[in-house]
Amino acid sequence: MSVIAPNFKLSEFIKSLLDNVFWIIFIVVLIGIPAIMMILFVIEMPVIDGELLTPFLALTWIADPSRILPIVKAFMATDIFRVMAFPGFGFAALLAAGTIFIERKMLAKLQLRVGPFYCGKFEGILQLMGDGLKLISKEIIIPAKADKPIFWAAPVLFVAAAAAFVAFIPVAPGWVVADVDMGLLGVFAVIGFFPIITILSAWSANSKFPFIGGIRALFQMVSFEIPLILSLLGVVMLTGSLNLSEIAASQSSFPWIVFLPVGAIVFFITMLAELERIPFDLPEAESEIVAGWLTELSGMMYGLVQLGTYLKLYAFAALFVVVFLGGWNGPMVVPPFPAEILEKGIELGPVTANIPGLPLFTQDMLNGTLWFVLKTVGVIFFILLPRGVFPRIRVDMLLSLGWTKLIGLAFVNIFIALGLLYAGVLGPGGLQ
Amino acid sequence: MTFNLPPGLALQKVDERIMTLNVGPQHPGSGHMRIIVQIDGDYIVACDPDPGYVHRGEEKMAEYRNYITNIPHLERPVIHDSCNVLYPYVLGAEELLGIEVPERAKYVRVIASELNRCIYIMYWLAIYGIFLGHSTMFMWPAGDRELLIDLMEKMTGARVTHAHFVPGGVRNDLPPNFEDVCLRQVNYFEKRIKEYAAVFYDNPILISRTRDTGILSRQDAIRYGTTGSVLRASGVDYDLRVKEPYDVYDELDVHTNVMKEGDSYARSRIPWLDMMESCNIIRQALQKMPKSGSVRVKLKPNPKTKGLESVYKRVESGRGSLGCYIVSDAKTEPYRVKLSVPSFRNLIALPNLLKGEKLGNMPSVYWSLNYWPVEADR
Amino acid sequence: MSTETENPSADAKPEIKTPPAKPAANKPEPTPVELPAFEKSISDKIVEKFGDKVEVAFVKEDRVRINVDKENVHDVAEFIRDGLNYDHVESVSGVDYPQDNEIEVVYHIGSYTDSSLARQILVLATRAPRETNPIPGNDATRLPTLRDVFYSVEFHEREVFEMFGVFFEGHPDNRRLLLPEDWADLPPLRKDFAIKGR
Repeated sequence: MSVIAPNFKLSEFIKSLLDNVFWIIFIVVLIGIPAIMMILFVIEMPVIDGELLTPFLALTWIADPSRILPIVKAFMATDIFRVMAFPGFGFAALLAAGTIFIERKMLAKLQLRVGPFYCGKFEGILQLMGDGLKLISKEIIIPAKADKPIFWAAPVLFVAAAAAFVAFIPVAPGWVVADVDMGLLGVFAVIGFFPIITILSAWSANSKFPFIGGIRALFQMVSFEIPLILSLLGVVMLTGSLNLSEIAASQSSFPWIVFLPVGAIVFFITMLAELERIPFDLPEAESEIVAGWLTELSGMMYGLVQLGTYLKLYAFAALFVVVFLGGWNGPMVVPPFPAEILEKGIELGPVTANIPGLPLFTQDMLNGTLWFVLKTVGVIFFILLPRGVFPRIRVDMLLSLGWTKLIGLAFVNIFIALGLLYAGVLGPGGLQ
Repeated sequence: MTFNLPPGLALQKVDERIMTLNVGPQHPGSGHMRIIVQIDGDYIVACDPDPGYVHRGEEKMAEYRNYITNIPHLERPVIHDSCNVLYPYVLGAEELLGIEVPERAKYVRVIASELNRCIYIMYWLAIYGIFLGHSTMFMWPAGDRELLIDLMEKMTGARVTHAHFVPGGVRNDLPPNFEDVCLRQVNYFEKRIKEYAAVFYDNPILISRTRDTGILSRQDAIRYGTTGSVLRASGVDYDLRVKEPYDVYDELDVHTNVMKEGDSYARSRIPWLDMMESCNIIRQALQKMPKSGSVRVKLKPNPKTKGLESVYKRVESGRGSLGCYIVSDAKTEPYRVKLSVPSFRNLIALPNLLKGEKLGNMPSVYWSLNYWPVEADR
Repeated sequence: MSTETENPSADAKPEIKTPPAKPAANKPEPTPVELPAFEKSISDKIVEKFGDKVEVAFVKEDRVRINVDKENVHDVAEFIRDGLNYDHVESVSGVDYPQDNEIEVVYHIGSYTDSSLARQILVLATRAPRETNPIPGNDATRLPTLRDVFYSVEFHEREVFEMFGVFFEGHPDNRRLLLPEDWADLPPLRKDFAIKGR
């Protein structure tokens, strides 16, 4: 006989509840409220109704709901929001999570399976969360002779580099974390970090298979970075700008893939290689070198690398969209915000709620984001597709592909761009 | 500097350029065995296969059990190919015990063994696919294999370990209506495996990866004593179903698939062609099979052999010629059972093929040898 | 072994007494057995070359068995390869005979190149002395290796070495193959290695 709680006493249960309530209140009063105050002091507060929104006034949203939206709007204008949430990390991570789900389901359909099925009510939609929880709960095992600080740092650095890459991507007009003039150059610089992080992780693990995997990753990334950079130069020549927002804005009438298909193809292939996706997943070639440079990573360290990989996947697909597919440009499909809500407020039976601060997003921004996401998802689909179709290629074939064919094609692409420029088709006096 | 080494171990002087990799037994690309690979950069300079991680002493066990109770455990080395791995033992036991098998049982055996050959090759092909990083080619054969497993389940009652062949025939007659179901499933199966060409065998990346890797010349294939698909991929026309037909294979039209190249691609293509040939054989056997009759000779409970006598029987299994050498000494148990398994015979080609290859070719060359670690260890 | 003349019906079951004589070659008849001609010619060639150094144990359909002393096994194997066109060894089996104090090693030799020999298996058997307390590799249980004659015996002979303790002199790689490196018991396929509980 087993009873779930053999020594259950109602009084002790109530006492434990009260204890918990007491400690929660205690901690909130001592730590929580001061912390909120500090944050509110740090965030630049907007001027609402002619007075500066001090933290004390900001807290009045609890009493006055009409102040919520202006505060949210003010928060959305801050850098923290941009980095953490919308064009930055959170948005990318959400898309990456969607990517993982779509990848698994799509691959399963391709292979006569069902894929994730049970976790979550609908088609295993919560499977990723389950996997993440599992990874978090797992023990992190460090090899005995590993170089511990570097080994610990590598997954974090990997995610950080991927997030830095994400920061350059303009999602909608004006919605970009880092709107720098040398944006594309910054992207190249960040991409250059990945082989270093990989080889650091592989070397510090002090194990043979990660070492071979790291060397392979180094070969692969270095040999494919050159065609990657060269393939984007054609676009830079035509737009005359390295700023990604300007590049995206320059494609309002047509995307560059129309004129530079060779560059787009080269960039797509190098992208697959940089992302270590099948058919270029040599650094993680399972049957040869176990899991390549990921072999010794365990628990959430592995999870972080996976997160970084999918962030990188999103960032590359987004870069492809921005550079070749016209970024946020697309026909206006989002309806304008209904004007009567602005004027009269929302009528809910007898109550009329007049909400200040609407609309939260402009029509341009919503439309741009919609098109951007649609295009990005399309590109991601094409990045995922080869996994079900191709086997892995060999390292010598990979290197000869990178060093000879792709670089040659990238030069062809540059000459096409130059020809278009000199012939006057594009550029000053041309179509644009 | 001196080390206190445990007895039996010795330090090895290795060039500093050489890195020694233990591929297996806990490596995703090795199966239940270890390949000690020494690489110089990306090139393999030496390779030493180390089987034996799943050695179960089947031969020793066979000396303690009588001719009938040996059957379930002797099929364990290759459970996917359990009919074929049992076949030579059953043939040998029949010769030793002096039993004549009814005609219908012989046909049932042929059908079962060809179905089993396909089941085995599908499993092998699935692993070949995943070894090359082609996950679709892992899932498709693993799924289509179910068609034939269902057939075997109908026929024998067990999905994988059938223990269906006994000295004197097969355990049970075919279930009613089996012929129609079998014909339908086999036809669909054949149509299905023909689709693999588009995604796998004609895949340009696969071809460029496995062509001209691990070339086994005709002379070497003969000298190493390789067998089965490895031998036929090197241009030797040798199939026991044709050359030394057992049971009713002499009444069936069996075509031997031979390729001249001897590379990994040819070695992986031959089993696929063999599956289509198996479908042909099954259709012929279904047509020619006597529609009724006994499938099993009644045996005495503990059959004894006559005296000190030995017999060597061999069949063509999914991996090649599989021999069984039985020595008997007028007891109910065999005196010695030796399985001469194709995997073990093909293994000898591995060190010679891998020497000088790139590390990236190791999985494709290794698995194209149609090697099943459990069978090699017995 | 080949000249068994005992009556099979002493053991055999009644229902298998009248089979159509398909594997007829080895059905022991009281009359002199009609030996298959082709197989007889193979054994005759060997006997002609080596005289009484070899003993033809049996000549059955598709199978010829030759028993040779360990001194002559290498020469006989070379003749089998060069004179008779056999080219590979399918299996090397050890058989332990404690009552004779000998271990028999049986080579099953086949041919891929000669199509007339495709069905044939030539069984070459030789015997090594057996020691009750074996020290594998360091006792009298030795045989000359056939690896320089038939390359394909390499792993098979390694297996026989670890399973029976028969050391093959001249084998380049006499290491353990299937058993663990630290196996310190009797060679396991010998008859005096008993399975627990049996």
